Amino acid sequence: MTAHAPHRETAPSPEPPRPYRFPPILREELPNGLRILMAVRREAPLMTVRLLVHSGADHDPVDAPGIAVFTAEMLEEGAGERGSMEIAEHVAELGASLYCGADWDGSVVSLDTLGRQLDPALGLAVDLVLRPAFPDHELERMRGERLTAIRQQKDDPAIVAGHLFNRFVFGRTPYGNPSMGTEESVSAFTRNDVASFYARHYAPNNTSILVTGDVDPQRAQERIARAFGGWERRDRAVHEPPRAGEREPARIFLVDRPSSVQSEIRIGHVGVPRSSEDYFPLLVMNSVLGGVFTSRLNLNLRERHAYTYGVRSSFSFRRFAGPFVVSTAVRNEVTPEAIREVLNELRAIREGELTEQELSVAKSYLEGVFPATVQTAHDLAGRLQEMDLYGLPHDYFDQYRERIAAVGAAEVRAVAQRVLDPDAVVIVVVGKARDVHDPLRALEHPVGLYDLEGNVLPR
Amino acid sequence: MQLEQFRLDNGLRVVLNEDHAAPLVAINLWYHVGSKNERPGRTGFAHLFEHMLFSGSEHVGNNEHFRWVQSVGGILNGSTTFDRTNYYETLPSHHLELGLWLESDRMGFFLPAITQEKLDIQRDVVKEERRLRYENAPYGLALEELLRISYASEYPYHWPTIGSMDDLSAATLEDVKEFFATWYLPNNAVLALSGDFEPRRARALIEKYFGEIPPGAEPPSFRAERAPFRSEQRDSITSPVQLPRVYRLYHLPPFGHPDWVAGDLLAYVLSVGRASRLDRALVYEKRIAQEVGSFVLQTEATGMMIVIATARERVDPAALEEAMDAEIERLVVDGIAEAEMVRARNQAETGYAHELESFGSRADLLNTFATFEGAASALDPFLSSYGRSRPDRVRAVAEAVLRPDNRSTLWVLPETEG
Repeated sequence: MTAHAPHRETAPSPEPPRPYRFPPILREELPNGLRILMAVRREAPLMTVRLLVHSGADHDPVDAPGIAVFTAEMLEEGAGERGSMEIAEHVAELGASLYCGADWDGSVVSLDTLGRQLDPALGLAVDLVLRPAFPDHELERMRGERLTAIRQQKDDPAIVAGHLFNRFVFGRTPYGNPSMGTEESVSAFTRNDVASFYARHYAPNNTSILVTGDVDPQRAQERIARAFGGWERRDRAVHEPPRAGEREPARIFLVDRPSSVQSEIRIGHVGVPRSSEDYFPLLVMNSVLGGVFTSRLNLNLRERHAYTYGVRSSFSFRRFAGPFVVSTAVRNEVTPEAIREVLNELRAIREGELTEQELSVAKSYLEGVFPATVQTAHDLAGRLQEMDLYGLPHDYFDQYRERIAAVGAAEVRAVAQRVLDPDAVVIVVVGKARDVHDPLRALEHPVGLYDLEGNVLPR
Repeated sequence: MQLEQFRLDNGLRVVLNEDHAAPLVAINLWYHVGSKNERPGRTGFAHLFEHMLFSGSEHVGNNEHFRWVQSVGGILNGSTTFDRTNYYETLPSHHLELGLWLESDRMGFFLPAITQEKLDIQRDVVKEERRLRYENAPYGLALEELLRISYASEYPYHWPTIGSMDDLSAATLEDVKEFFATWYLPNNAVLALSGDFEPRRARALIEKYFGEIPPGAEPPSFRAERAPFRSEQRDSITSPVQLPRVYRLYHLPPFGHPDWVAGDLLAYVLSVGRASRLDRALVYEKRIAQEVGSFVLQTEATGMMIVIATARERVDPAALEEAMDAEIERLVVDGIAEAEMVRARNQAETGYAHELESFGSRADLLNTFATFEGAASALDPFLSSYGRSRPDRVRAVAEAVLRPDNRSTLWVLPETEG
């Protein structure tokens, strides 16, 4: 090789870092208990206005899943003076995108649009949240669309794998059900079910409004107080936390999909709640294990063995303990080998050494990437939502990098040992049973055969 | 928007967009080569090559590109379309120099690092990508089939960027070397930076890292002409899905032509949001479609609008298609109301505002114009042309474009039991 200029041979050193601060968070509370959180960012002309009700699909009755999502979606089917189509026209006219939906921890009405549309956006939001009509004919239409969508999900092996993983890990608890509901539950929803979920949970003292981006906070606050001040406080529902099932020895749930050319694989178990003291060490641990491209799992399964286009591990940090899961899709022939490599990596991170380089790459990634994840008004609203839902302290995002920096190797190993349990994983494989069933038996874990609905199949 | 454009002596074009809204910088490098520059027997090669470019260069080890960027808190990736291949990273701004070092190393010092083993690994990874996104995904093979019937086999939009399994198998190390030497040249690339930097300093760093890379022979210019078919092209395939789907491809002028913007607005009028024509008629009122969508791709050689409608249970795709055509006919005959145009324009305007909001997507948008239109500054007049678009013009484009002899139609049908 010819010698190159010195600046070519080694990576350049960084300049001094430029200061970064999360925008100041303005908080207010109206007399009726509605909390207001605002973060201003005026460099772009965009804004997010989001109503966040602190009850999500985790409040679904175990035998009637989907009501939180269905209720939130029904909000835009008629509210105030407007019918469903008039709402859609109005949203498009504002150049807005409107999302009405629910995740596990909250129900959300969120509008992304230009900051200059603050008044009409708030006007629409107040109608949707305070004056929904739940018209019968729209409910029937929505039911039809939803039932079709639920059936259609069975076409997608990745969705099937996700749903059945949740079912086998969480059993008959809300987290074990699909948050969109089932054919059975959605078929039975009545207007009264929707109206009573709404009445129980949509109250100012169970709701926050998040406003981010290109807004004048003074003006926004006045408008919010005027629009939502008359909303009446209600007694708040007491919530029974869903309980996860007991862990059992590792087993394989093979879900037969005869047309598959890849196995969709999910491996994991119950994780930890968002409030866990292990949160920061777990972020670092997961980054090393399977959180980024250069993680152990991805370098092993993709870059060394070329089993897959990608593999990742993740924790769903929710109000209660959500899943820890490793997800990948591999060609049929290498299904057992891929599972074995995943289990090996889970064991290695509990029992083996963590190199200095791995630890420092993971930490500097998590510290450094934060500003890039909050570039937009929509991103900022997501962070305020996290802060509000989980009761994080007001300086949380300013302390974030220090908290990551403080994580040590011993702590990472300790949380891996405490939280990961490769001997008690649920392994879901959605794939072609004829090709993969027998090879899977070589893994020495019991293998059960199921259909796409999760029913046991005769062998 | 601050914009500075210049060219290095080796032909590398540079776009600088200084903005100190956050201590971040987006580096966005486009090579003007995509699947349309592939030769028959090597479909999928431009994309396979993109994977190879992450597997190291002379001073950067295998996967070290990823590790360097992630170790400073950067996000990165690359992507391949018919017309171009892009590589990008968003970094904390004090690491700008690292990003330039990495990107210039693989532009100037790539060949010494390639090995047969790396090619074999990435070939298998790409085959898994094809299985994941095309073969194992619901409706995953529809796009490939739609392109196959929409363009004659000599025309390179005939195949998708992922390519065929056989052609991926056939790719050799010689192909990698030749492709690199032909296309991966400073004089066939545009580097766009958006974010927190001082332009004089950035320019000096770009000269330092990219200036020494020698230019190559002018890459072959793209010559293929799309020969229009005389009649509608039709086909149907079966797939392990439950609901039939109708795919339509309408030929449009390419990105950059004034009628492309009218075509984009037409896609909004047809099926963006529930208040749009097809959504309202097929999903909301008649309830014969589960979902509809339409979009226009930013393609350079010829334009395309794709319309997709998924049938509800027990709805015949012929009936769905007929209802779709009735709506299109109504639009052409009755025209577009001013209120509809306002909705389409406002949605498009907010859409672009979102693209400009973060540095990464902004740099990519600037590069779209620098690469396809010759100047990043063409973005501004492009955006204002949306505001000037009149309903009559969009209706006229609809009339010219939404014709049977200008389209292809693909049905995806559920496999029957047994």
